[in-house]
Amino acid sequence: MTSRIELPLGVEASVQSTGPGPERSDDVEVALKSLGQWQLAWKRFLRHRMALVGLAVFSAIALIAIIGPIVAPYNPIDIPGAKEQGGDPPTLQHIFGTDDAGRDVFTNIINGAHISLAVGLFSTLIAGVIGVIVGALAGAAGGFTDNVLMRIVDVTFAVPLLFLILVAAVFFGQGSVISLILVFGLLQWGLIARLVRAQFLSLRETDFVEAARAVGVSNLRITFRHILPNALGPVIVVMTLLMASNIVLEAFVSFLNFGIAATEPTWGNALSNSQGAMGDGNWWWAFFPGMCIALTVISINFIGDGLHDALDPRARL
Amino acid sequence: MTKYIVRRLLQAIPVVFLISVVCFFLMLLAPGGPQAQFNQNRFVTQDQVNAWLQHWCLVRNPGPLDMLKEYGGWLGVWNCHAGSLLSDQNLPNFLPGFLGGGDNGMLHGDWGISIYLNQPVADVILGRLPVTMLLMTTAWIIWLTLALLLGVMAAVKRYSIFDQIVTFFSYTFYSLPTFWLGLMLIYIFAVSLHWFPSQLIQSPRISPGPFASSVWWTAFWTNPGKYGWDVAMHLVLPVTTLVAVSVAGDSRFVRSAMLESLNQDYVRTARAKGLGERRVIFRHAFRNALLPIITNGALEVAFLFSGAIVTETIFSLQGMGYLFIQGLQAHDYFLLMGIVFIGAILVVVFNLVADVLYAVADPRIRYD
Amino acid sequence: MSTVVDLEGVSPITEGRAVGSPPPPDVLLDVRGLKTHFHVMDGTVPAVDGVDFQLKRGETLGLVGESGCGKSVTSLTIMRLIDIPPGEIVAGEIWFDGQEILSLPMAEMRRIRGSDMSMIFQEPMTSLNPVFTVGDQIAEAVKAHRHVSKKEARNRAVEMLTAVGIPSPERRVKQYPHELSGGMRQRIMIAMALSCDPKLIIADEPTTALDVTIQAQILELIKSMQERTGAALLLITHDLAVVAETVQRMAVMYAGKIVETGTAQEVLLNPKHPYTQGLITSIPSNVPRGQRLNVIRGTVPNPFRMPRGCRFEPRCPFAFEPCQEFDPPLLTTDRDRRAACWLLYPPSELPRPGATTPDALAPAAPVARERVNKQ
Repeated sequence: MTSRIELPLGVEASVQSTGPGPERSDDVEVALKSLGQWQLAWKRFLRHRMALVGLAVFSAIALIAIIGPIVAPYNPIDIPGAKEQGGDPPTLQHIFGTDDAGRDVFTNIINGAHISLAVGLFSTLIAGVIGVIVGALAGAAGGFTDNVLMRIVDVTFAVPLLFLILVAAVFFGQGSVISLILVFGLLQWGLIARLVRAQFLSLRETDFVEAARAVGVSNLRITFRHILPNALGPVIVVMTLLMASNIVLEAFVSFLNFGIAATEPTWGNALSNSQGAMGDGNWWWAFFPGMCIALTVISINFIGDGLHDALDPRARL
Repeated sequence: MTKYIVRRLLQAIPVVFLISVVCFFLMLLAPGGPQAQFNQNRFVTQDQVNAWLQHWCLVRNPGPLDMLKEYGGWLGVWNCHAGSLLSDQNLPNFLPGFLGGGDNGMLHGDWGISIYLNQPVADVILGRLPVTMLLMTTAWIIWLTLALLLGVMAAVKRYSIFDQIVTFFSYTFYSLPTFWLGLMLIYIFAVSLHWFPSQLIQSPRISPGPFASSVWWTAFWTNPGKYGWDVAMHLVLPVTTLVAVSVAGDSRFVRSAMLESLNQDYVRTARAKGLGERRVIFRHAFRNALLPIITNGALEVAFLFSGAIVTETIFSLQGMGYLFIQGLQAHDYFLLMGIVFIGAILVVVFNLVADVLYAVADPRIRYD
Repeated sequence: MSTVVDLEGVSPITEGRAVGSPPPPDVLLDVRGLKTHFHVMDGTVPAVDGVDFQLKRGETLGLVGESGCGKSVTSLTIMRLIDIPPGEIVAGEIWFDGQEILSLPMAEMRRIRGSDMSMIFQEPMTSLNPVFTVGDQIAEAVKAHRHVSKKEARNRAVEMLTAVGIPSPERRVKQYPHELSGGMRQRIMIAMALSCDPKLIIADEPTTALDVTIQAQILELIKSMQERTGAALLLITHDLAVVAETVQRMAVMYAGKIVETGTAQEVLLNPKHPYTQGLITSIPSNVPRGQRLNVIRGTVPNPFRMPRGCRFEPRCPFAFEPCQEFDPPLLTTDRDRRAACWLLYPPSELPRPGATTPDALAPAAPVARERVNKQ
């Protein structure tokens, strides 16, 4: 029932566009543009409180990732040696404690932030760009092209993706950040391609595309002007979630020592190094990097949630 | 329906074939090669390495043709010891053995030999299967029960305190890295509280032999309580780790499927008929919400298989996920291929199960 | 206001509320001052904002208005099918068959729903549950209200399918909704609604979603079933032609209020309210060939910014001085003929700027504004 009484925000917009005055019937496209689809989405996003909190937290993390190495309290390269075996517990000097070599865990986290975020962001962008191109191609072209492209996508879905990613990371990763980004990106576009294709197929049947076709808009223009912008909403949402999951994935791959070289202070490496210390009761060494991952991921997920509501109001529950 | 299932299985063959190609060539194309494990070993001579490679039908720095041969050998098309496409009986090698074909490769049921363990891959995997199966089945049942229970209740009591608590926990747990959650559970419940063991599937002190081996079963039947309890205690933390994240995501999914269903016109019709709320919710709304949940539940099996890698590694469970990590470390081609193959079969089978169940549950869908 | 779905079956809305006195026994349904509002993210939508009408036993009443005017919400409120929240029944009484049903516990309301009072919905495509056979769904309605065996309920379903003119009913009861056409499904809905011999049938746009060729048949069926069972019919529609053919009396709704009531013939031939007049003159067949169609200028008011006075004032060609500030109450112009328009009031009874209106329906404290007095 709630869904049927649907008037938030769109009300003014719909009044503008449905005004059936005979003098305005010919500029349908102008009327649509005046809706300000993205402005409307932004307005809706601003109303999503948790998404705003997520955005604030994520911005803070991103800021730390960028300026972090400058403000970090200790030099990450110093190895002062810990007082206790397996690292010192949190104190006022070392708020997150130290690792077994006496390095400040807080400093390590700050220095690792940019790698985690970079892996998450760039691998997702690669997957997104390839996925949108392939999906749009398959959805717009149809027929043989569609068939071939979708069979290729099927292959990446034929096995739990983690297996392929681990195999590729082990055999090609070689501890470098860039190769890990490429491995993640090149193996994950299938999901986005499928989504874009599905959007294309359903949008192709919508009334507004039919209408555009009826007034003689070219196929190319329909694809880029009418379908693609509408297909992008869900894609952005999925990409946000993918970015969050890639940050966890990087940590896991590094945790297994298959990811970024152990000398880099990434969050995953911190967890990997601390694994043995857990049995000794040195919780802080693993706890704080994990909390940072969780905090980053939860803030991104909230942003994704807000984007979901903002970009696809019909799906709101 | 039978026709449909057969057709789907036939359609899956090229996809599984392609994934094996991708995976095999991914490993072959990587620099280093399987002989890399001897690089640091001063006691192994180059000749020994060459002999070793030849034994496994592998080539140092393979060219494209060598790669095709190696893959052909794994598949069973190439008779690598004779260096020919023909079997020892001079018939095409891919034919079944009783028709004069070869006996090597997947086509002949030969999964190859694990380089790392020096045992047939099929035997190794079979030995590790029980732990993974036990872990996944337990996790799957608990996952399904909890996700359904929490999701349906949250949807029915939408916006209530209960709903908000479920929402809060599902967001939190959904964002936790699984392996980190496992580490924290070990710290809290094993290291600090000593409630549950954190390693292995059974205590070495009481273990009569490898889990689910014939020795183990014999011992188990003498005292099921003792051995069963031991295994159950060892399962608590891994299963919790595996289930927590999945339930978090899927209780949300069930909730929205249920809400979607509750918002449908037919639910209003059911109320308008004067039916009681229980009947409206569980007969009319839930029955329809079940459709997406069935699909999701079947697909979840593949996801749990990935999760097994994570949990088995952290909790040192001797299952297939742990085996996979060991194979990766050793660059064990055939072992990795074997496990990826199992993963592919799991995906194919459970995709099919999802579709068949969907057709059973929804009268609108007919396959023929 | 606690949960959407109350499993306990206790109505949280209006228990222990003081209500007025019952209407005379020949009145089956008496809706008094009904207000149903929806609390959404952007504020409150007064979907139904003061609706009064009566329906006598066996009588037919058409509730007419354009989409969004609150006619569907009115019908859902009578059935108590409004989701609370976001909905809230703010004020009013609904007397049905001698009892006030807004203050009934949900469990008792459930006993009325589907048996004494039943509803036919607009969308036959989505109103039937896709995973159950139509026979199951009709039998379920019977079993909910009658102590009958499974077999008897089944037989009743077949009987009802025959009554609504579905050929080979024995075969049809075993079919799923998707195997039937739209018109067929609407017949199923009608069979379901009538399976327990209701005293009141509410039909909410029963023909809107159907093909034009089917519409007349379904309307004819509803009418004949209503005549045969002697039930009262509340027909909700935006289609004046449907009203003209089907009902004895009609009520016109605009922006959550009833603006005019009377017999269908009187209202259609001699509309008093400018909105009704606009509706009738905008029917294409009423306009001579070659001439421009009459349209009601402007659009329905934004529900968050309802006009302070008469809600039709911004669109009304005859709007004059009191309209902007004061909401006209329904005025009885004739026996059983009422309309809410200041034009119908004698000049002496018009409210002065700044004065309080003679009726409670007007804004509680209208703020006086300086305006040129045309009179």
